Amino acid sequence: MPFLELQNLQKTYPDGTRAVRGIDLQVDQGEFIVLLGPSGCGKTTTLRMIAGLEDPTDGQITLDNQNVTHLPPSQRDVGFVFQFYALYPHMTVQKNIAFPLENIGTSPTDIEAAIDRVARALSIETLLNQYPRQLSGGDQQRVSLARAMVRTPDIYLMDEPLGTLDAEHRLELRAFIRRQQLSLSITAIYVTHDQEEAMSLADRIVVMDGGKIRQIGSPSEIYNHPADLFVANFVGSPGMNLLTGQIVQREDGLSFTHRDTDIHIPIHANTAPARVILGMRPEFIRPANRGIPGKVILSEYLGSHGYAHIDTPIGELIMRSTDRLTIGEKIHLHLNETHIRLFDPDTGTSLT
Amino acid sequence: MRVKDGVLKYGFVGPALIFLIAFNIFPLFYNIYLSFTDAELSGGIARLIGGRNYGVIFDDTRYGTALRTTGLFVILAVAIELLLGFALALALQKPFWGKPALTTILLVPMMLSPAVMGLYWNFILNGHYGVVNQALSAFGLFQPQWLTDPDLKLFSILIIDIWMWTPFMMLIALAGLNAIPNHLYEAAAIDRASRWTIFRRITLPLCSPLLFLAVLLRTTDALKQFDLVMAVTGPNDRATQTLSALLYQVMFRGYKIGLGSSYSIVILLIVIAIATIFIRYIASIQAKQGRETA
Repeated sequence: MPFLELQNLQKTYPDGTRAVRGIDLQVDQGEFIVLLGPSGCGKTTTLRMIAGLEDPTDGQITLDNQNVTHLPPSQRDVGFVFQFYALYPHMTVQKNIAFPLENIGTSPTDIEAAIDRVARALSIETLLNQYPRQLSGGDQQRVSLARAMVRTPDIYLMDEPLGTLDAEHRLELRAFIRRQQLSLSITAIYVTHDQEEAMSLADRIVVMDGGKIRQIGSPSEIYNHPADLFVANFVGSPGMNLLTGQIVQREDGLSFTHRDTDIHIPIHANTAPARVILGMRPEFIRPANRGIPGKVILSEYLGSHGYAHIDTPIGELIMRSTDRLTIGEKIHLHLNETHIRLFDPDTGTSLT
Repeated sequence: MRVKDGVLKYGFVGPALIFLIAFNIFPLFYNIYLSFTDAELSGGIARLIGGRNYGVIFDDTRYGTALRTTGLFVILAVAIELLLGFALALALQKPFWGKPALTTILLVPMMLSPAVMGLYWNFILNGHYGVVNQALSAFGLFQPQWLTDPDLKLFSILIIDIWMWTPFMMLIALAGLNAIPNHLYEAAAIDRASRWTIFRRITLPLCSPLLFLAVLLRTTDALKQFDLVMAVTGPNDRATQTLSALLYQVMFRGYKIGLGSSYSIVILLIVIAIATIFIRYIASIQAKQGRETA
């Protein structure tokens, strides 16, 4: 039995918006799951249904062997971290963190000990007597995490908790969450549109789009073996290069080509001649003496590395490069054949 | 032609300033001056008589009675209006069919003239032909003499005031309730707070600064209660004579401008004292909540 199970979960709002169109997901105890997708993909609605903040239109949620589908949040044992903190403005940090414990009748001495423990873990000991409004966004989100963690719920639900923070606080809190997850092996569902966050935190990533799941897998599965064109393009920054063309049979084996060119890229995959879309991550393209001819049309320098946009006869390619290329420069490109991914152009699903 | 900034500045502020001085500041100070004279409306030269008027006030038995009447009226009116208004606001908090229409209807009493409403309620509460007693008699019930029974008169004025001003409390309370962001209720639900805990520890404290403001406005207003008394019983009825009614009686029926002025100063001081206490209190709870003070 999985610890948390979503079966055909659906949510249609009264105005007819179908936010979630049938989600099936199984989460084991101690797993850290990230729901990743663009805004409006239904990830937050899914999370809120697991919390009980939204009532599902259809489907079932099972948590710890109990059908909780239509139970109010107070009758599920969940912790929730809101994107905009949702701290009680009229209570001090200490009162905010104590609130969930007071509601379940914890004794004052135990409350004090619990606050002590989480305040130390999140380094907010000095803020306990302040009011939320006096704190920075990062500190407010720490307090919000503390309030969720003080109670050790069955499952932690986090709705883009780092979304509004500046880069420095984001990295710091991300590392904190990762450490907590490793040391306490908490079960958590974490919503974000930031793939880097998803990659660094998740045991498994659930990529969502249009209210449906596109792919479930480990970060490396998602990155290296995207199930379809959406995942290939959405995950990775920049996303996968996608080239339209066809696979043809030649005397030395299969190769990918573009109708108007005599460029041929050998294909070693077990596939048949057909129209395809070829996918290739920018880091598996490199300059070479021979290969696909192209011209640099844009060069982005990012410090440790950069990206060059190369115009080639088979389409524009983005290449990751540690050298700075000048615009207009003519180069040849080599594609690492073992990292070629092929997709069906009609359905968008992966062929490799 | 360019107008100098300085000239322009006074051009904008001037008219308002003149108006304020002519109708607020000068009358206030003239009133203070009059309160130390024996001026009468019937003429004669006003002479400065020191604080003798104030001595007269505190010897006047009508003053003590009016003070008690006013105090009782203010406390009961404001407390009942607050409770009813807040209860109505809570009932109107969630959307339901017909809510906009119902809200509008509930606000109507507040928008009518108190003097007109006083006369109107005279008919409603009339002991012989009033609709209230008609209804009571239809059920064979006892028919109180709302407007003539000395024990009931003040109570009747209280009912009218509550009827008029409960919507005001409701309006402010609704604004306070609507200002509480929904995610706080969601957080409280996640934190397993009961409905009573949510009301006591989230709704009420977050609403209270606005409720106190409403209480302040209603208290200062009720302290000056005059129009309903005037319309229902007249200004010289011992059972309903508020401080303002007494002031009117002294000044415009007794023509004693000097003594009346000192009455008005006394009322002013009471209102200022109460308002100051309230404002300090509101500021202190707002400071406690880490908000900017009003």
